[in-house]
Amino acid sequence: MEGFEFIIDREVAMVSQTIRSMLTSPGGFSESKDGVVTFPDISTTILEKICQYFYWSLQYSRGKETEFHIEPELTLELMMAANYLHT
Amino acid sequence: MTMLRSREISSASGKPRPKRQSSDIIQPSTPARKQEPGAHSLDGSSPPTNTFRRRSPCLESLNGFTDKEVSISVCSKRKSNVGERFLSLRSGKKVAKRCDGIEASGSEIDTRKSDVDLGSEGKKVCVDLVEEETNIVSKELDNSGDNALVRRIVNEEKGKTVMDEVEDSCQVKDVEMKCVEGCEKLSSSVSRRKYTREEKAKGIQVVNLSPPITRVGVEEMEIDNSIDIQNPPEASVTESAVNDALNQNGNGSRNQHFRDFAEKNASRFARFDAEMEEEEELSDEEVEQQVEDWPGPFSTAMKIMKDREENTILHDGIPFSSDIERTSPIIWAPRRSDSFTSPPRAPSLQELSMRVLVKNADAITSLDYVPDALRVKLCQLLCDSRRMDVHFLDLLVRGSPTGICVPDCSWLTEEQFTQCFNNCDTSNLMVLQLDQCGRCMPDYVLPSTLARSPKNLPMLSSLSLSGACRLSDVGLRALVSVAPAITSINLSQCSLLTSSSIDMLSDSLGSVLRELYLNECQSIDLNLILTALKKFEKLEVLSLVDLPSVRGRLLREFVTARGEALKQLILTYSVKLTDSSVKDISENCPNLSVLDLANVCKLTDCSLGYLANGCQALEKLIFCRNSFSDEAVAAFVETSGGSLVELSLNNVKKVGHNTALALAKLSEKLQILDVSWCRDMSDNALGYIVDSCSSLKVLKVFGCTQITDAFVRGHSNPNVKILGLKMDPFLDQLTKNLADS
Repeated sequence: MEGFEFIIDREVAMVSQTIRSMLTSPGGFSESKDGVVTFPDISTTILEKICQYFYWSLQYSRGKETEFHIEPELTLELMMAANYLHT
Repeated sequence: MTMLRSREISSASGKPRPKRQSSDIIQPSTPARKQEPGAHSLDGSSPPTNTFRRRSPCLESLNGFTDKEVSISVCSKRKSNVGERFLSLRSGKKVAKRCDGIEASGSEIDTRKSDVDLGSEGKKVCVDLVEEETNIVSKELDNSGDNALVRRIVNEEKGKTVMDEVEDSCQVKDVEMKCVEGCEKLSSSVSRRKYTREEKAKGIQVVNLSPPITRVGVEEMEIDNSIDIQNPPEASVTESAVNDALNQNGNGSRNQHFRDFAEKNASRFARFDAEMEEEEELSDEEVEQQVEDWPGPFSTAMKIMKDREENTILHDGIPFSSDIERTSPIIWAPRRSDSFTSPPRAPSLQELSMRVLVKNADAITSLDYVPDALRVKLCQLLCDSRRMDVHFLDLLVRGSPTGICVPDCSWLTEEQFTQCFNNCDTSNLMVLQLDQCGRCMPDYVLPSTLARSPKNLPMLSSLSLSGACRLSDVGLRALVSVAPAITSINLSQCSLLTSSSIDMLSDSLGSVLRELYLNECQSIDLNLILTALKKFEKLEVLSLVDLPSVRGRLLREFVTARGEALKQLILTYSVKLTDSSVKDISENCPNLSVLDLANVCKLTDCSLGYLANGCQALEKLIFCRNSFSDEAVAAFVETSGGSLVELSLNNVKKVGHNTALALAKLSEKLQILDVSWCRDMSDNALGYIVDSCSSLKVLKVFGCTQITDAFVRGHSNPNVKILGLKMDPFLDQLTKNLADS
């Protein structure tokens, strides 16, 4: 969905393999230079959930093992987005 | 004949004598020394030789046979020393056990003789013809040389010498009965036998042996000194050389002496004969095969390993015990600190969302835009948790799907099936998997559903109907007639199918089919489908699990015809196959990358040899309950295991440290390793493997009760998943493809 912007920590974003390779790939792509990645196919709600997942995942690997709740209505799209983002 | 030999020596003894004595002086501290038999030498040198034993006379002068003195008389004196190291032969002679640095009496002789015998440096057990030697020697001082020579020769022939420092020439030619000199009749039989043993013996002589054995006598020089044991002619060369020399010799009395001696000892040799002959008969086939096959890297590797083993064994002086640590050369220390444990990895979002989806599958209203891969995974999870139902199947079938994969259709009824597939648009369907559909797929439902129109499945390339136990030849024909492009068909456990189905398949799909799975199709007789099988031009995968009709001859026919293109051959439970089948496979299937020989119990180490020499591209190799030896598996891995990605040694009980070493050395690509029930794999061995195989992802150790925390917590490979430890859950790991997890 157009127009929404999420600003997150770089390290957090790197949880996604796709984003990681976008940000670190050589070749002078705008993503790596500006640090801006656009996902026209992913809706806002889903993207928000994904960002929440990134933070949760980082906390988990640092020891804080909690549960990540997903609203059922989001799951299908979330699953597809997660598949796309390799996360 | 001995006479000849003795002549040689005596003539030669003139020259070397001075040298000999100097060498006596020079090396007083070395143990056994060889002395040239000769009256003088014996007299003069007996005492020194008795006390000193040269370690490796051969080393001193590689080719200076004349320099070497063969001491024969030392026997009695040395008896005590070597007593414990000698085994008693039936004949009452003592045979020296192999031990480094030990030269039993006549060992030097043996070492030298060993060359003569076959140019083989083998381990030679020194036959310590103690009393007799000395007696004879002392009795006949004049001809002592001769006798000594005979004796020596006898010794050498009979004995395996220990080439101590020299890397043991691993050819275990047990008793070298090659009485080249003397004992003519015996010698011929013996040498003949020797050869077959040589031939049988795995492989060429260890090349790393520098020809350490010095030659005794001219005839020895003439004899091929090379490390080429596979030369039967050698014996004859030797013999002829000897004979020539003999003829030159005019000393009839010596000849007579030797003859007497030979006759005296004939019976003793005869006993050995029986022993060896027995063994020969048993391995006749092996012999033939060995003779045919030029020994390659596999046999060399095996040889090296075997000798290494025996080296260790004899060095310790005790037989191989179950204490693997003791003989294991692996040094691996578990890491001390915990600094390396990987942090807990959060489950992926995809996984999390799938879990939720599976729980709420009935709430899903559409699977549009969901890629096939995700659909497949979802299906799998649903089937596993028994939540798969018609509703979801409807979702899958909706639209114009490209893939419908339901790994478990046991819940599906005939009516449901008919309803679902009645109007299913299958024009784009490429993959159809309806496993365990026995309940819902009798013949009569097909014409109204999947086979309802002549071009109903035009794009179908992969069809899996395993477990379709109500499907008969008629139904299959109906289905295949509407799907002309099938490249992979799985008809496992379709018990009603007969050979006419395969005929039909070969007629319709002969030019396109690449994969054929006929596991457990009880009504299909390989005999009858052989012709049909040969018609498949592009067959790459053939799976014949648990088909009793799979026999060596049939397999041979098939692989000779179509082996070139074969990439995967699954022959689990084909219990009638033997080594010759593996030979056929290795000769005809150079591109084989997956081979499954689990539970083919009749295979022996030869199979590994054939595979090593033939199939160089193996990536997945499954063994289970095959009785291979540790050395054979290790040799196989060393010679052609470099491309292995998945290896199963489940219940190949003898694997141990040799295999571990080989795996660690050469398997960078190895990802999945199964050593379940291999109780000889110690913590050290496994730790070594796991730390060295950087790509290893899964290690299965079911039944390996010998593993301790030292390995489990002490290894340094962050990626490996260890399955099968006591009390560890593993059911969730039983996915189709472990490497994916």
